[in-house]
Amino acid sequence: MRIMRRRLNFMMLFVVILLLAFVSVSSFAAEYPKEKAIRFFNPYGAGGGVDISSRILASAAQPLVDQRIDVICMPGAGGQEAINFVMNQPQDGYTFLVTDYGPLITTALTEKVGYDLSDWKPVFQITEVVPTFFVKADSPIKDVNDWIAKAKAEPNVFSVGHGRYLSVPHLPLIIFEKLTGIKNKHVPTTGGSEALAFVLGGHVDIGASVPSTIGATVKAGQTRALAVCSEERVPSLPDTPTMKELGYDVVLPAWYTIFAYKDVPEDRIEFIQNKFIEALNTESAQSLAGKLNVDLTPYGSEKCQGIYNATIENLKTLLSDLTKK
Amino acid sequence: MDFIFSVLQEAFVPEVIIFAMLGVFLGVTVGAIPGLSGDMAIALLLPFVYKLNPVPALGMLIGIYKGSMFGGAISAISFGVPGTPAAVVTMEDGYPAKKNGYPKKAMLTALYSSVTGDFFSTLLLIFLALPLASVALQFGPVEFFALYVFALLMIALLVQGGIKKGLAAAGIGLFIGCIGMDPVIGTTRLIFGISRLRGGIPLIPLLVGVFAVSELMIQFLKEWYRSRLKKIKELSGLSKESGYDPSKDIMSFKVYLSTLKATLIGSVMGTFVGALPGAGSSLAAYVSYGAARQFSSHPEQFGKGILEGVAAPEAGNSATCGASMIPLLTFGIPGSATAALIGAALIMQGINPGPLVFQENTLIMFSFFVVIFYASVMNLGFGYALIPLYAKIAMVKSRFLFPSVFLFALIGTYASRNSVTDVWILLVAGLLGALLRKGRFPLGPLVLAFIIGPGAEKALRQALLIGGGEWSVLLKSPIAIGFYAISVVSIILLIRFQKKLA
Repeated sequence: MRIMRRRLNFMMLFVVILLLAFVSVSSFAAEYPKEKAIRFFNPYGAGGGVDISSRILASAAQPLVDQRIDVICMPGAGGQEAINFVMNQPQDGYTFLVTDYGPLITTALTEKVGYDLSDWKPVFQITEVVPTFFVKADSPIKDVNDWIAKAKAEPNVFSVGHGRYLSVPHLPLIIFEKLTGIKNKHVPTTGGSEALAFVLGGHVDIGASVPSTIGATVKAGQTRALAVCSEERVPSLPDTPTMKELGYDVVLPAWYTIFAYKDVPEDRIEFIQNKFIEALNTESAQSLAGKLNVDLTPYGSEKCQGIYNATIENLKTLLSDLTKK
Repeated sequence: MDFIFSVLQEAFVPEVIIFAMLGVFLGVTVGAIPGLSGDMAIALLLPFVYKLNPVPALGMLIGIYKGSMFGGAISAISFGVPGTPAAVVTMEDGYPAKKNGYPKKAMLTALYSSVTGDFFSTLLLIFLALPLASVALQFGPVEFFALYVFALLMIALLVQGGIKKGLAAAGIGLFIGCIGMDPVIGTTRLIFGISRLRGGIPLIPLLVGVFAVSELMIQFLKEWYRSRLKKIKELSGLSKESGYDPSKDIMSFKVYLSTLKATLIGSVMGTFVGALPGAGSSLAAYVSYGAARQFSSHPEQFGKGILEGVAAPEAGNSATCGASMIPLLTFGIPGSATAALIGAALIMQGINPGPLVFQENTLIMFSFFVVIFYASVMNLGFGYALIPLYAKIAMVKSRFLFPSVFLFALIGTYASRNSVTDVWILLVAGLLGALLRKGRFPLGPLVLAFIIGPGAEKALRQALLIGGGEWSVLLKSPIAIGFYAISVVSIILLIRFQKKLA
């Protein structure tokens, strides 16, 4: 009897040790425990394009990665606060930056910042935001060529409302004017909404914004999109030609991309990339995006790196030309 | 008929009613706490709202908006610190009202005017959205500049007897508003190398710092000074006023009627300003106050605690609740920052605000309208129930009250933009406010100039860009000329009225 009990005790001890070993091994194996949340830091304010796209992404991806995904807006210091914050976090593969090229690249090229552009590695892209030129439906400007002809006849007559200075809709305008030699009055606005309001109210002749802001008014027939500045036509504006089609090489789409700061391990980047691209390809993400005139572009790290480098080169050229003027 | 039933069914589901109630309660509470604002609450709740169904989600957000537009008045009246930026103007007469012994009348006036203004703009939203939006679109940079000039000139109206100090305070406000980025070229200015200030000075930390933290610092210094000198006398500070006579502080329907003119003026001005894209609730409150004073039979009493001076701005800021949704739902252009957040919530629900929003989401939008209506009623109910509760807070001794307010301000400031810089701004603004209080400078003009200044500069420069550098462009609009004319008339009346006093 006593021997049986001792054997039983040993058995139990053995099982307990086995269990403990199993548990500790599995927690060692899980280098990236799911209790910690993945955080995307956004240098723009709540409710903006980056914020909304990130939240669509986060909700679609949450069941796939089975952990919390937080989108945190840090609009301070023109977006630099978010960038500095991510830089100063431990690079453990949980903290990322989600942004377009403005705060990350444009600011770095125009002012002193605490990082090199090569320190940031793109992980994946959410969507492409395409600068679009548009007019009021009853505007005398029929299309892009008409705009050029009229502007050449009388320079500096047309006013173009674009977002902030050197913003996503503004830069293509500058490129366009360089290519065609026309001159327009640039009217900076607080963003796409204000540009749209001014165009609808007849205060400016042309507006530069993005499809998600103007899509609804185009569909309702209140505005007309003249051209988009991307390689190919934009699905939400199927009847709008690209600048390229019309013969003007104005291609400068803005991307909303997730970035990791240097030192985040390669395998972690790959894992995040794969899971989130899968999330963007799900039915729910696609249909929601479609309703909102957002075109999802789930590009992976390699493709994004190419796009990132190209954008940097583009902007460098553009901005140095500007300062030369 | 069937459709009406479905709408009512959709709108009166318990889920919707509960969330709307939650929203209003949260709104009034958050509005009443300086440092926390309705916008902040909405922004923080956006991810949560995403998981709800559209109608309860929107019901909650609009409830927060309405509640906070009234809630700010509670602290403004009770202890002289505006709970939200929109309540800065309410404080001008609301706080003197409390000091003169009728805080309850003042707060109930604020409540009833808020609900009236809100109701009025909601009616206009539902029945006249499209024509109103078209009128709003007539406002371009030229017209906006004229409106802002009118508003800035009216700062002189706000200042009683100490025009020099008032204008000086406004000047400081304008200066602070220039810190940050130039609206046209984007170069930074006045940041003195502190890159954290690139985005400019944020409103809430400035507001709470100047009003609340400054008072805290002064009270603290007084306490410290007293304890140093070993004085044991009890500090009554801002707590229970001696000589409070409840019988003189009864709100009645007659009182409501007496302020009705001011309330209606506020409702109309508030709806109008609220429908202008980018104008905002502070400007609406301010313009309402100025207009009410113009048309009042006792303009000299403004600033001394006259109830009309509480009714007008409260009706004005609450009227933006319905009005700011007008451009949002007709063109997708938000009329205020709060409307922009609600627009974001709509987008997250898959509803694209803009000209097709009703065609694409008919049932949801009409249910939403019904909810907007009854959220007003809830606002009335909650306001009525919560006033005695929150007002009692003002009875707490200031040396407990202000540190608590300070704590909330710190938390709220950080929560809003996740920025430690904002907290520093809160403290520095507190210092500035304390200095100004000591020098007997009015604080209202500072904050109002800070809010209006950047908008005015941007509008002026946009107008000049459109006009190719010609100053004459500013007079090319009948609307603009109208505002300038009203400004000139106001100044003339003011000068004559000042002469009468002398």
